[in-house]
This record gives sequence, C-alpha cells and structure tokens, in this order.
Amino acid sequence: MSRTEIVHENFRTRLRAGDLPPVPSGVRIADAGLQPADLVELFGCQVLSRQLDRASAALRARGEAFYTIWSSGHEGMAAVAAAFRPSDMAFLHYRDAAFQIARARQVPGQTPLWDILLSFATSSEDPISGGRHKVLGSRALLIPPQTSTIASHLPKAVGAAYSIGLAKRLRPEHQTLPDDAVVLCSFGDASLNHSTAQGALNAAGWTTFQRVPLPLVFVCEDNGIGISVRTPTGWVEASLSQRPGLTYFRCDGLDAVDTFSTARQVADHVRKRRAPAILHMHCVRLHGHAGADVQEAYMSNAEIETIEAHDPLLNTAAHLVSERVMTPHQVLALYEQIGARVERAAEHVIRRPRLKTAREVMASLVPPPRACPPARRPAPTTRAHVFGPSGLKAMEHPQPMAKLINMALTDLMVAHPEVVIAGEDVGRKGGVYGVTQRLFQRFGPARVIDTLLDEQSILGLAIGLAHNGFVPIPEIQFLAYLHNAEDQLRGEAATLPFFSHGQFTNPMVVRIAGLGYQRGFGGHFHNDNSLAVLRDIPGLVIACPSNGWDAVHMLRESVRLAREEQRVVVFIEPIARYMTRDLHDAGDALWCRRYPAPGPNNPCPPGEVGISGGGTDLAIVTYANGFYLACQAAKILKEEHGIRTRVIDLRWLAPLASDAVLTATAACERVLIVDECRITGSQSEALMALFAERSERSDRPVSRLAGADSFIATGPASGATLPNRDEIVLAALKSIGPRRVKTRAYP
Amino acid sequence: MTRKAALVVCPGRGTYNREELGYLGLHHAGRCDLFARFDAQRTALGQESVSALDRAETFSVARFTRGDNASALIHACAYADFLSIDREQYEIVAVTGNSMGWYIALACAGALGVDDGFRVVNTMGTLMQETMVGGQLLYPFVDENWQEIPGRRAELMALIDATDGLYRSIDLGGTMVFAGEADALTAAEQALEPSGRFPLRLANHAAFHTPLQEPVAERGRARLSPALFRQPDVSLLDGRGHTWLPGACDLHALFSYTLGTQVTSPYDFTSAVRNGLREFAPDVLLLLGPGRTLGGTVAQILIAEGWRGLRNKQDFLDQQATDPYVLAMGIREQRARVVAPE
Repeated sequence: MSRTEIVHENFRTRLRAGDLPPVPSGVRIADAGLQPADLVELFGCQVLSRQLDRASAALRARGEAFYTIWSSGHEGMAAVAAAFRPSDMAFLHYRDAAFQIARARQVPGQTPLWDILLSFATSSEDPISGGRHKVLGSRALLIPPQTSTIASHLPKAVGAAYSIGLAKRLRPEHQTLPDDAVVLCSFGDASLNHSTAQGALNAAGWTTFQRVPLPLVFVCEDNGIGISVRTPTGWVEASLSQRPGLTYFRCDGLDAVDTFSTARQVADHVRKRRAPAILHMHCVRLHGHAGADVQEAYMSNAEIETIEAHDPLLNTAAHLVSERVMTPHQVLALYEQIGARVERAAEHVIRRPRLKTAREVMASLVPPPRACPPARRPAPTTRAHVFGPSGLKAMEHPQPMAKLINMALTDLMVAHPEVVIAGEDVGRKGGVYGVTQRLFQRFGPARVIDTLLDEQSILGLAIGLAHNGFVPIPEIQFLAYLHNAEDQLRGEAATLPFFSHGQFTNPMVVRIAGLGYQRGFGGHFHNDNSLAVLRDIPGLVIACPSNGWDAVHMLRESVRLAREEQRVVVFIEPIARYMTRDLHDAGDALWCRRYPAPGPNNPCPPGEVGISGGGTDLAIVTYANGFYLACQAAKILKEEHGIRTRVIDLRWLAPLASDAVLTATAACERVLIVDECRITGSQSEALMALFAERSERSDRPVSRLAGADSFIATGPASGATLPNRDEIVLAALKSIGPRRVKTRAYP
Repeated sequence: MTRKAALVVCPGRGTYNREELGYLGLHHAGRCDLFARFDAQRTALGQESVSALDRAETFSVARFTRGDNASALIHACAYADFLSIDREQYEIVAVTGNSMGWYIALACAGALGVDDGFRVVNTMGTLMQETMVGGQLLYPFVDENWQEIPGRRAELMALIDATDGLYRSIDLGGTMVFAGEADALTAAEQALEPSGRFPLRLANHAAFHTPLQEPVAERGRARLSPALFRQPDVSLLDGRGHTWLPGACDLHALFSYTLGTQVTSPYDFTSAVRNGLREFAPDVLLLLGPGRTLGGTVAQILIAEGWRGLRNKQDFLDQQATDPYVLAMGIREQRARVVAPE
C-alpha cells in the first residue's frame, strides 16, 4: 500500500475507533476568534486538499495525471488563508492547495475541487494555466501561478508589497491591489536557504528599516526536510527570528486553530503597521517530496510512521470532537463524502480536452493586449517646466545617445505616470553613465528609486510593481550583473503569462547597459558581450539600438509594448556609444542627432530593420556597436575599393525581423554578418541559419565576423577579441574576392 | 446497492400552470398533514390555502400566478416531491434552485425547518405581490439545437448596458431573463428581433433579482429573523454558484444572502447548476416538480458545459431516451424513476 493510502487508512481507522490525539495546543476554537462552523469550514478545505492529493496519485497511476506534488501535512495553510482577504495577493509554495481551496471558499462561485483536478489532468480548461502545467493559481483569487521550487517568487512578493504604498500615491491605471492589501508569500524550510529567499528577506528588511511601507508576510512552511536533506533542528527559527525589521511569529501548522489564531495576529500586525512579518509554521510532509520520490530510501519506517502520526487532519478532528462540534462519525462521514466527490469529479475531468499542438501550448507565450487610455499630452509649459531651460536648450542641438535616452525617459515619465524607474545609482547620481540624470529631481524618489545592490531584488521589484499596474523600467547597471538575477526574467517574468494563460502579466522594460568597446575600461564585468542568456527566452523582446535617434524611438516603442501589449522588453544599451559623437572623423558629429519630439510616428518598429546605404555588392548585417563600425568600414570599402555596400541594423534582436532582413539583403551579391557578441550563442548563429534555410539565393556567399569565445580584457587588449572596423573591411574584401576589388588591397 | 449521487434542482416561479392543477392531490395525497401546516400559516394570514388552490376546479392565470399564491403552491409541490425521492436509490449530495427555488432549496437542505421554509417562501412571495415593481422578459441566446449563438449573449449584455433601467435578472441556461420597469422592458422588446414567442414577457412577474427589489428585501429582513436559519444537512448551491456546506455555514451570512443579495442582484442559475456538476459530479439530476420547463434549461447548461459529451439538443434527447441523466418529477414517466415505492 502506498504511503498516501496508509495515511488515508490511518485517518479512517482512528476516527472509527474514536482514537484521536489530544488537542495539540491549548487554544480553543472560540479563543482563536472562530465559530464552530468556521472550523468545520476549514476542516472541509483541509480534507479536500488531502483527497485531491489522493486523487492525483490515483490519476497518475492511471496515466491521467502527470506531475504530483503533495500538500499533505501542510493543510494548516487553510487556516492561514482564512486569516487574510482574497484581495491580499498571494505568491504560494507548491504545497499550498489547502490555502487556495480556503481562499476559493471566500469568493462566491469558485470551484476549487474541479479547478485543481483540471490542473492535475493538464486539461486545457484548467482555469489558471490552460493545461500547461500543474500549478496552483487563480486570477479571481489573486494567486499568480508559481512553479518555483527555489523561492524565486519571493523577490516579486517584496516588489508587490512595495507597490501598494506606491500605488496609493501614484494611482497606476491598472492598479490591482487595494490600498489596505497585504501580500503573502510562502516557501519551504529548504528553500529558505536559497539566495533568492535570503535576498528577498534582506530586501524586505532593508526597506522597512528605512520606514518605507512594506505590508508583506513571509510564511515559512517548515516541514523539516528538503527532498531528502533534513533541516537542522532549530535552524529556521535561528535564521528568521532575529531579522532586522521583520517581526517573527511562530505557529503549529498541525493545529488549524493555533495557526488561525497566530495568522490573524500576523494579518492584523502587517495590515496596520504596513511592515513585514514572518510566520514560521511548523508542519510535516506526509507523502514524500513528489510523485517519484520514495521516502523509504532515506528515512526509516519508524521515522515515517512518527511523521504520519502527526497528521494535521487528526488534530483538527480532535478539536471538533473535543469541543463537541462534530462526532467522530460525522467527521469521518464528511471525509468520505468529500473523497467521493473528488473521485466522481475526477472521472469527468479526465475526459476534458487537453492541449495537443505546439500552437496551443505556445498561445500564451505572448500576453494579450490591454486597453489603455491615451498617453498624457502635456502642455508645452508643463514639459518646459519638467525639462527646464537647459534641458530644452539641449534639444536644439545634436546629442549623443545617453542624452537622447535621458530625454526620452523624461518624456515617457511625463506621458505615463505609471512608469517607475528603479536600479542601483539611478536616482541621485543619475546612473553611472548619467543616462538617468536629473530624473530623480524631475520626478522624485517615488518614481526614480535608488535600490539596494541586488539585481534579484531589482527585477523582483519590477515584477511586483507590474503585478499592480505599474510599467516599471528597472535598470541593470551592467550586462554582466544580470547573470546573478537572470532567473527573475527567465523563470519568473517571462513565464508568467505562459503559466497563467495570459491572465497575469508583468510588463516592463529592463534597461541594461552592456556590450564592449569601452577602450580599456572595466574589462569583462563592464563589457560583457553575450546576449545568449536572453535570446532563447520565449516571449521576451530584445531591443538593441546602435544610435541615439533609434534608441529614442525604440524606447518609446518598448514602453508601448509593455504598457499596451504587456510585454517584457529588455533594452540593451551599448555603453561604448553612450557619448559617441563622431563616426568617421573627429568633429563630424555624425553619431549625434537632435532629439525627435514625441509623436505618433514610430520609424523603428519591431519587424523592420535599419538600412544604411543602397549598395548591392555586399550586405553587412549587424547591430549596436557592429553597426557603428560597419558604417565606418562601408565608407572605406566604397572610397578605397569601390565596393558598394548596404549596412543593415537589426535593432530588435528578438523577435528577429527575419523577413525584413531577407528583403533588405535580397538584392545584394554577398552577405557579411558582423556580430560583436561571443560567436557561440551569438545572434550570428541565428542569422547564418536564417540565410541557409530561408534565403532564395542559396548560392550566395554568406560569411561572418564575430567576437571570439573569450572574456574581455582590461587595458590595451580590451578590443582584441572583438570585431573592429579594419577586420570588417578585410572580411568584406575576402568575401568579395581579389578579382572584384578595384583599387589597392587593404593593408 | 450503491446509491446514485443526486443533485436536486428546485423550480422557480411560473412552474405551476394549468397542467399542474391538482398536483398535490395527484402525487401527494398522503401528505395532508404537511399541507395542513402550510395551510394553517396561510389561513392565519387570511390567504387562500394551498390545498384549496390545488383543488380548484379551474386554473386562472390571475389567481394562480400571483406571487403570493404561486410561491406557496410551487413550494408545497416541490417540497413534497423532495420528500418523495427514493433515498434507497438516491443519495442527495447537493440542492440548488432557480430564483425562488432558492427558498425551496433551503428548506429541502434543512437550512430552514418545514414550517420556517414555508414561512420564508410565503412571506417573500406575498411581499413580491404587494410590491410588484417592474417585470421580466425572456430572450434566448441559443439556437434550435440549444447551442449558443456566437456573440448573442454579448449582444444581450450590451443591450442591458445601453438601456436605462434594464437589468440582467436571471442567467437561465440558454435564455437571458431581463428585468426592469415597464419602459425599460418595452425598449428591450423593441430592440430585440422577434423570434418565435420571444421576446416573452412573464405575467405577474416583478423585476426580480434587481435593485428595484430593495424594498422587498428590506421588508423581508424585517419580517423574518436570522434565527429561522440553521445548519443545512446537505450542501446548497446558491444563485452565485457558491456552495454552502453542512455544518460550515455562517448563518447570518446565509440570512443576509437569502433576504438581501439574491433578492436584489442577478440570479445565476446557470452557475448554480454548472458548479453543482463540477463540485459534486452527480450521477443524476433530479428536478423537483411542479412543471416540466426546467429540463430544457438544465439541458442547455449541460450542453454548454459539454457534460458527459453532450453537444446539442439531439444528444441530450438521445441520452434521455437510453440512460436518462435528468429526471424531472413533473414528468410522469421520469417521476416514476425517482419516487420511493408506495
């Protein structure tokens, strides 16, 4: 007999025999502020959670469910849910079916039994994921779906909690959370050790330490074990009880009455004080980690049986019986009735439709558009006031990219009050390269947030803000710093619409200063030249302008994509071009442009490419610094070799404008791809494949020049591993061949 | 023998018609004691007894569809039908109802005692009749195969949004029940393309389940006490599709919903049945009498849900012919499958 069924039979046997444990805590039903009926209600939720666990095991054995991870032993979370409101957004641990069921019971018309069974069966009618994954979650219950096993949902919970106070001041147009809401997040004792959990706890403490409102509850569900590794006795309390700014509460999750009583204190504390708290809930794990986990491999039978004797359902039953709310017979009848309901419903659920095709699976990679009111069109005097005389004066002259992005950000923040900028040094300092200069003074600390030094927290803040209707523009100071936080994009932000069937979204524009060519400054960590970590994330939009004029238009489009189409956009800014003024010769000012005023036109939309030159001898396909260098090379190729080129700027790296690239290069005899990123995993790989697979001119030579598979050096050799202008010229000449070259060979 | 899990559905207004005259006498001659208790309440209030109404020689719309008479009669028939269900054959796992059927459901589920259940129904029916604000209008959004006409329901919702004083009253399977004052209903009638007998005004019906009923709700709360309500013995599904579980009900909330929310806001019978299917997965649906009109509505809900593979009216009829899933006690042949042997 499986452990699932052993626990089931234990419960029935003990109820039949009236063999119930002593009530674990001294807290009586009334003392906890509960009515007897409330505890019956909670017990019903706990039983439903348990019976759903049994059903998932049974369905999996029949090949009708595909991923089982139990909530058994964690049913105390039903009492936590009961202490909060359905408008308190909850980012849940995967063992929290009882929480979701109890919350569903607070909202009329919900069908938690049916919905969770649909999730087990991966039916396309599963109301949260549309059959994509077995997840907890519900739009109606404000439970965004999480698949996390490593507490990676905690940073965004901090962000969502932070957003509540901010929304009270700024009123984002798609505000979701009421002003008096609190945010919950739950996780296991093993996940507590993960850097994301530690980072979130630290960020919460750092925030509240400065008396910034942060109505957030961390619920650590301490079952004492992470898969097979035991949590040292007392470790969770030792780790959590002394956190600065975080008030620590502890409850016995095996006792629903004590749990409700404590959770209500936590709710009152956090709601009133707008400060974070930790609820450390002791519980047990009854059926092993997940479907394939066999506890017997690392635990003795005696240990397993000891744990099973602490079944929280027996304790709730003990409360109900000892206080004469129900007889053991009635408790058992309720248990059996709910089990029968689940069994009957499961037979219907397995006949509901499932996803079949790639198209169906991928339908929610891109979230649906949302209705937005028109952007504000500020009076000229308002805009003049924001920019100030010097800002307006600067618009009269050509400016480099950093200045132009700054102007664009200013206009975007004027037009969209829900835009918030956050990052390290973006505020008072105005960014390490000055791109966000004066924004802090123009818009104040509420909208230009100097964050702590933790990229996970920055992206978590942005995700959380976006959950509450903001359009955040977080900044990652250097591309190399993204990597420690990359999962916040890959595993969290990008997956949210996918796992929620487009019902939850976290639109944002992540600005990242990156790429190489900083003339010896900084080495690898300030010149990282690989975007591979972003390129394969489904649904992500990657913008990468080469010049300030494009950057302005692309940034506006990025914000529109986020605001109206709810997309997650990564906006890569080539640091080396921030202050570049000249292209060919000192003082030519060809890489500066006057700031284009905001307007309805978008000359740089996704799906199109930038084209410089109309030559047909050679097409150079490139982006960012590569475009700048290729434009220099094109002049040399033309003037010194008579080779007429056209240089294609990809601008948007994802989704790649494949059709536009093929069209732009169709008339050219040869193609040279110039990619400043490390060749392995670089955009050039996709371009080579594109030309090989889709070009109608299969005999046309296509070659490439890309960065070496190396990190960037500091000092004179900083550019040694990167393509440069002269190498582009050489690569072009090689592509053309000696007979076509009309003038002297290039040295 | 394993009992079949049954979801019981209680009828709403308009189900006791000419064909039902004599229903109590025909089907429930042995329940005189029960009806005597109901009659006593009516007599004390100076109202005609349900027994007398049921024994009437002739049926008249004016007399039998009045709120005070219709509610009491329908309740008596339905409640007696509920008591007649063969419990050896059927395990009742949940009870729901349409519109005033909610009051009947409360009594069937035990949330109201026998006398209190009748008291609530009779009081509210009488108040509705006394107040008689506005009316109701039916219009379908399914075709002759009982399949939803794409976009039709959205059009009807848009009509509500666009018409002053027009409300969504009941989600009734494939039919939208509008409610409102006379002007709003007239405007709706003019806007709706005639189709068969639709748009159809209902005689002697008020603008149920709309804010226009607030005075009725208020007087109902004044006349009826929360103390009438008690924990049900069986689960209840209300007009939001919400489940009230035995032993777990907040009785003040149940009172407040019954004599507040559901009186003045739309009654979603479709959700009630759909959620009953989903959360209780019954083996059979038992529709209490009187009347035979609820079967089509319930079938439309089953079809919309694709329940047991049903896609259209013919599927439903075929299923009913071979292995009936819906048993209406108002239909003689089906009733025979439901009631306990004498």
